[in-house]
Amino acid sequence: MNPVFLAELRHVLGAGAVLQDPLELITYECDALPHLRSVPAAVVLPSSAAEVQAIVRLCAREKVPFVARGHGTGLSGGALPVSGCVVIALSRLNRILSVDIPNQRVTVEPGVTNLEITRQVAPFGYYYAPDPSSQQVCSIGGNVAENSGGAHCLKYGFTTHHVLAVEAVLPNGEMAHIGGSLVDTPGPDLVGLIVGSEGTLAIVTSITVRVLRRPETVQTLLAAFDTIDAGGLAVSDIIGSGIIPAAVEMMDALAIQAAEAAVHPGFPKSDTILIVELDGPAAEVTALFDVVQGICRRSGATTIEVAQNDEQRARIWKGRKAAFAAMGRVSPNYYVQDGVVPRTQLPQVLNRIRQLEARSGLRIGNVFHAGDGNLHPLICYDERVAGEADKAVEVAAEILSYCIEAGGSLTGEHGIGADKSAYMPQMFTPDDLALMQRVRAAFDPQRLCNPGKIFPAPRLCGEVPGPYRQHPVEEAGLAERL
Amino acid sequence: MLIRGAGTKMDWGRTPAAIDVILSTRRMNRLLAHQHGDLTATAEAGATLAGMNRTLAEHRQWLPLDPPFADRATIGGILATNDSGPLRHRFGTPRDLVIGVELVTTDGALAKAGGRVVKNVAGYDLSKLVAGSFGSLAAIVSATFKLAPLPAASKTLVIEASDFDALGRIVGAMMASQLEPLAFEIHVPDVVGAELGPPSRAGQRRPLRSSLQLRFASVAAACDAQIAQACALAPLTDCATETLQGDEEREAWETHARRIWDAPGALVRASWLPATVSAAMSELRRMAGSACIQLAGRAAIGAGLIRIDADVRAQAAVVEQLRQSALFGNVVVVRGSPDLKALVDVWGPQGDRDQVFASVKRALDPDGVLNAGRGPL
Ligand SMILES: Cc1cc2nc3c(=O)[nH]c(=O)nc-3n(C[C@H](O)[C@H](O)[C@H](O)COP(=O)(O)OP(=O)(O)OC[C@H]3O[C@@H](n4cnc5c(N)ncnc54)[C@H](O)[C@@H]3O)c2cc1C
Repeated sequence: MNPVFLAELRHVLGAGAVLQDPLELITYECDALPHLRSVPAAVVLPSSAAEVQAIVRLCAREKVPFVARGHGTGLSGGALPVSGCVVIALSRLNRILSVDIPNQRVTVEPGVTNLEITRQVAPFGYYYAPDPSSQQVCSIGGNVAENSGGAHCLKYGFTTHHVLAVEAVLPNGEMAHIGGSLVDTPGPDLVGLIVGSEGTLAIVTSITVRVLRRPETVQTLLAAFDTIDAGGLAVSDIIGSGIIPAAVEMMDALAIQAAEAAVHPGFPKSDTILIVELDGPAAEVTALFDVVQGICRRSGATTIEVAQNDEQRARIWKGRKAAFAAMGRVSPNYYVQDGVVPRTQLPQVLNRIRQLEARSGLRIGNVFHAGDGNLHPLICYDERVAGEADKAVEVAAEILSYCIEAGGSLTGEHGIGADKSAYMPQMFTPDDLALMQRVRAAFDPQRLCNPGKIFPAPRLCGEVPGPYRQHPVEEAGLAERL
Repeated sequence: MLIRGAGTKMDWGRTPAAIDVILSTRRMNRLLAHQHGDLTATAEAGATLAGMNRTLAEHRQWLPLDPPFADRATIGGILATNDSGPLRHRFGTPRDLVIGVELVTTDGALAKAGGRVVKNVAGYDLSKLVAGSFGSLAAIVSATFKLAPLPAASKTLVIEASDFDALGRIVGAMMASQLEPLAFEIHVPDVVGAELGPPSRAGQRRPLRSSLQLRFASVAAACDAQIAQACALAPLTDCATETLQGDEEREAWETHARRIWDAPGALVRASWLPATVSAAMSELRRMAGSACIQLAGRAAIGAGLIRIDADVRAQAAVVEQLRQSALFGNVVVVRGSPDLKALVDVWGPQGDRDQVFASVKRALDPDGVLNAGRGPL
């Protein structure tokens, strides 16, 4: 790396904020997909938007690629460094800039964690709705880049529905204020374009979000079924009766077994369980919760357990949220994707996954957001058995192809990143991708801003989608996967 | 080239220098799919919202949008202008409901983005980029939306506020409450009281006061419970309130949707922070001078339409004052005479977004063919 360029970076940021020691760089070589690794040329730790701008200006001038990084919990290699790049780590941009309760808006820097926003407003009875299960540790900047969601997005929408404004450094080093605290900035919805663009269009340096009033009532039930089809029928009938629950989650036998082994939530031994949560005005929730229970019974629920208090509700959710990490109890390794299918296609696709399970000889656990058809197949394998890891990758790819054939998507939450870019042509035509590339070039003609992500490119040796390994934050018990 | 749906917004935007071709979407008017089990539907650009909703209602679902001209406006036009109405309070604008689009760019390529599942983060969400583009980036061929179930029951609470301070207190109390209305509207009638209320028993018509209109839609018991809860909020205790249902309710909403469009004058879109409503409305009255000013909009979002009935210079003066005001923002002329458009820019300053708009426009429509000169880009 050009020493003059590095000296300039040090001049702007101070020597302590430019990392070059190989040992320090190792920390930044991957996100939560640890099999995709690449050591950056340097890591910079700016403390202000102006410093981000100065860094990007220098990179643009020197044509050095740069990769924004939040807290490195991404599951698609979105923050994976590219050769010779500068990683711009935004963890020091972690100030709360304003909390405006009367107007229900909060403005923060990108390094603030998702949960911190809720912490800021909770004393006033408010919360920030998008709830990825990594919310204790992931950054709001990363959420904006990935358009992150969680179990409660069925009713409340994703990051894109809650961001009012971003301040962003464009790849040419110019600053742009997009959206605003006042709604309806005229012209195309650039906030909506930038949210979910996986850090390829700009580096976001401040974010204004809407926070919501806590609902008056929450009711949660856990229903057990003998077959996944019966559980699926209950989901269809709930939605068909005009109810939009706050969350609808399903787990199959293997996932239940794993969760039970790990956190003992006391789930009934059954083939399928369904968690349904309703929230809102008390009179509405009371009336609709009866309807939901009736539907579960008619669909053949063997037991229905209603959470009587917050503690019981927390136990149900703990079992659900532990399911990912808990797979370690039933299998030495597992690999996960997050393809989406239209809800009505769930039974059909789940049956195909069952057949694939039998054919491949690998066990597949299913834990998913049934309300919006977002699968999380957990493919169990043992890396000590020759060829099993590769087989797990093949099985995951086949499941993604089922999702596409059913009219769904490659990813509902985790993003394409470097991990799934090779599959993009299954979902999009060359013309679709060319149009997206034109939009990208409008922002980043020099292709310096997080290159190598989203769009398919010939893969480098070793750069294949690979099996899941537990992320350090999971190991530390700070987050579970949904 | 100008793209035209039902033609309900042909006079929006700057006055174009010349138009060679109008591309009409009128024959592309099919509802392509209604996956009711998935709560999604795909329509061609020229399908009308009203027609679409009639079909969706067969399964007790709807695309919950109610922009002006909802009876005639097309899906393509509504998405391209990202236009909305009172339902925005609960459901947002078209950009919040659209999940996929099919577009044609000026080089003739047919390309899609998004898909037909409600949860999807694969690739750029270009449906957002065309929302609010006014047809200046690409032609929308079809769009897929997530739908909502039709509510079982509905009731509306109308509250008259004695003054702007009371109005502000009520808006604040509602926002801080756990009530979940479907719509929450504010109406500020014009100063000189040109709009009169219904005749009282004595036959007198008194000037309308500022009012708030909250629609609760849920199971019947929840509508009643929420209206009772709302009326019990402290700032409401000595306000005149009225609860509407059935035909009366429907009429009240139809009147509300029409009242600002049916009356004469320029129409300007503007935003404010919802908690500043009382200061903002007071300032609006001060700006009015001798002009008649009326406002209708979303109370808890802080967005609405302002009608300015005055001679064109006075209209322009109000627009300029709104743009200079610290309380208002994003002031856009929606309906204005060519004379007004000659005096003020329709779109107003775009700030440092301008550079992005310019490069996106260059990338998608390098010859500047689409919606030439009308803006916003
Ligand atoms: C245990 C676990 C559970 C998870 N559960 C969920 C879940 O339920 N739902 C869900 O949606 N995701 C989930 N994730 C994925 C992940 O947490 C999210 O994608 C999160 O948004 C990433 O945030 P981050 O700060 O870690 O970003 P990083 O991983 O550091 O970066 C992610 C992407 O964002 C870009 N980026 C980061 N900051 C900025 C910025 N300021 N400006 C521009 N681009 C930026 C990066 O370049 C990269 O492309 C989970 C991950 C783990 C490890």
